[in-house]
Amino acid sequence: MKIVIVDYGMGNIKSIISALKYLNVDNVLVSRDKVDIAACDKLILPGVGSFGQAISNIRKLELDKILFEEVIEKKKPILGICLGFQLMTKHSDEDGLSDGLGFINANIKKFQEKSLKIPHVGFNQVRSPKNSKLYEGLNSMSDFYFTHSYQAQSSEAINQAICEYGNEFIVSYEVDNIAGVQFHPELSQTNGLKLLENFIKNF
Amino acid sequence: MLRKRIIFSLIYENGFFNQSRNFRLQKVGNLQWLERNYKFKDIAFSLDELIVLNSSRTDKDMDKFALTLSKLVDDVFIPIAAGGGIRSMEDAKLLFENGADKIVLNTVLYRDSEFVNKLVKLYGSQSIVASIDYKKVDNVYKVFVENGTFELDVELKDYLIYVQTLNVGEIYLNSIDKDGTGFGYDFKTISEVVDSINIPLIIAGGAGNESHLEKGLLIENVNAVATANLFNFIGDGLPKARENIINNNINIARW
Repeated sequence: MKIVIVDYGMGNIKSIISALKYLNVDNVLVSRDKVDIAACDKLILPGVGSFGQAISNIRKLELDKILFEEVIEKKKPILGICLGFQLMTKHSDEDGLSDGLGFINANIKKFQEKSLKIPHVGFNQVRSPKNSKLYEGLNSMSDFYFTHSYQAQSSEAINQAICEYGNEFIVSYEVDNIAGVQFHPELSQTNGLKLLENFIKNF
Repeated sequence: MLRKRIIFSLIYENGFFNQSRNFRLQKVGNLQWLERNYKFKDIAFSLDELIVLNSSRTDKDMDKFALTLSKLVDDVFIPIAAGGGIRSMEDAKLLFENGADKIVLNTVLYRDSEFVNKLVKLYGSQSIVASIDYKKVDNVYKVFVENGTFELDVELKDYLIYVQTLNVGEIYLNSIDKDGTGFGYDFKTISEVVDSINIPLIIAGGAGNESHLEKGLLIENVNAVATANLFNFIGDGLPKARENIINNNINIARW
C-alpha cells in the first residue's frame, strides 16, 4: 500500500505519518509531485491554517488540476482531514469568499451562535451515517478530536456524519472514492486509528 | 456534546523532565527514564491532550527540545501543545515540524504582540495557546512572565481581556501559588475570572488527586483541567482517575 500525503506547505503531518506507520502502511510519502500522486494507491489531504492561504498554495502548485485528474477522473481514493476536508467543498466564507476544489457539495461557514466559545476545541461526539465504510466497527456515537472555527453545511444529504456544537453541522463525508473528516483521526486515540484503518481497508 | 479534557503537562529543562513546586524545578528523569519507569505511551492513553513546556532558564536549546518532543510523541495519538521560549517564526516552525499540533506562548504575549499576530495569521487561532502565570501579591492577582520570574504591573483580570484581543485559541491559566502543591486548583480566583473568558479555558496549578480534577471539570466554563504532577498522577494514577471520572458520569471522551 502506497499512500501520498499531499504537501502544499501547511499543516502538521508528523502525527498522520506516525499513525499510518502504526497501522503498518509500508509506503508513506509526503509529496506535491505529479508523478508520485499518480503512482500511489490512496491520497490524504491534510491541513491546518487558513482556507484562503491553503487554496492559493494549492492553485500555485497546480495541485488542483492534479487532484481533479486523480480523484474525479481516475477515482483514486482520497481522505481530507480538517482543513483538507474543507478544501474539497465548494467554497468558504473564511478570508472573504474563496472557492474550494468542489469535490463535495457543501460550503464552509463561520460558527454563528454568539455565546459559543470559538474555536470548537476538544473531543466531541460524532453521529455516524448508516452503512458507513469510514465508521465500520465504531459505535454510532463516537468521540473524535476537533479544533476549528468554521463548519460545513450542505443543502443536500451527502452521506454525512453530524456533530453538535451550538448547532448541528457536517463533520464527515463519504461518497464513492471521496472521504473527508472535519476532526483529526490521527489525534483521536483508538477511535481515530480505527477510522484511518477503515479508510485504508474499505476505500 | 463537546467533552471536557484532562491534560498532562510535562515540564522540560535541559534534557530532563521535572516536578515543579511554585515554579522551582526538581529534576525527575530524562526521556528514557520516563519511558522505562512510567510507560508514557500507556499513560497517554488516559489523556485527552499533552502539553510539553521548555522551562530551561538559561539556554533554551530549541533543537534539543524539539528532538526530545519528536521522540516523546511517536505513537502518541493525541493533540500535543509545545512551547517555552518561542521567540521567532523559526522556533514555532521547528516545534510544529517535530510533533506539536499547537504552540504555547507566554512572555511574548506581553512583550511582542506583533509576533503573536504573525503566528495567529500563519497557523490560525486554534493553533495558539496563551499561557498565563499569576500570583497573589499584596492581595492583588498579578501576572508574571519569564518562567514566573518577572512581575508585570498588570492585574490578572485586565490581562485576560488583553490576551483575548490577540485572537489566541485557548488560555492556559496557571497559579504560581498553587503550582505543585497538590492542594487543589485555585478555585476562588478561577470562579472570579471564568466568565470573562470567551475562548476555551484550561486551568492548571495545584491538582494533587482525582477529586481536584473532577471539581475543576465541573466548573461550567472551564474546558479542560491540567496537571503537571509527575509524582501523584503518573503510574496508574491517571488511568484510575480517568476511569473513576467516567464512572461518575463527568462529561469526558471515551474510546
